[in-house]
Amino acid sequence: MAHPQVVEHTAEARLSVNRTGLWLFILSESFLFGAALSSRYYLQGVERPPELNQLLGLGITLVLLTSSLTAYRAERAAVHGQLPGLIRNLVATVGLGLLFMVGVVIEWYEAFHYFPPSTAYGTIFLTTTGLHGFHVLTGIVALTFILFLGRDGRFTGGNFWPVEGAVKYWHFVDVAWVFIYPTLYLVQ
Amino acid sequence: MRESGGLAKDWVRGWWVFAALITLTVLEFGLLFVDMPVGLFRVLLVAMNLADAWLILYYFMHIAQLWGGE
Repeated sequence: MAHPQVVEHTAEARLSVNRTGLWLFILSESFLFGAALSSRYYLQGVERPPELNQLLGLGITLVLLTSSLTAYRAERAAVHGQLPGLIRNLVATVGLGLLFMVGVVIEWYEAFHYFPPSTAYGTIFLTTTGLHGFHVLTGIVALTFILFLGRDGRFTGGNFWPVEGAVKYWHFVDVAWVFIYPTLYLVQ
Repeated sequence: MRESGGLAKDWVRGWWVFAALITLTVLEFGLLFVDMPVGLFRVLLVAMNLADAWLILYYFMHIAQLWGGE
């Protein structure tokens, strides 16, 4: 039987490796979003169509930021071994993510009407928000998976890495939007 | 399992960061309605975005864990 100190050291080392791996993945993903954002300035400069729904952009940004708070609370609840807090906040995060996606559907509906993919701005807008929306969807799937697996308390007894990993990914999606929102909606 | 006092402290910190994020985002939006030189507008926009991103990276994503800061 392994010595408890050795087991603890191994678990810490494993957590450190997991975190480093996830940060490398996030770094590689950020290049993808960086390329999408830079194409906006390359193809369209800082011009934006007057029909752009500024209030919708602000609204979905606030929804996504709120989901980051609930995701953070879920992660902290898992770290502190509090199952009800974990479940409640994961449900809220998934719900807010779905609400954000409803906003994306509305913005796409308006985009196809006012600046379709045949226009430079339409191409940039639909590609960037589509790429981001796909990441939001995968985040929702990951969080839902964690929610169902974690109902029996398997992530609140010290093994909180799956929650931390999914939540970090969710925050990354939020950071990406923090740059997408002004690039598409505000800059002039 | 850690003590519940630590969790309460974490959640309070979460609310403060959230409040700062919301404030910065609304201020960014408000910049559209302020008459100012376009260069200043862009500098403020970039500064606010970087602040937003830093708040999420540092407090929500615990990026300092990478260099043992947490």
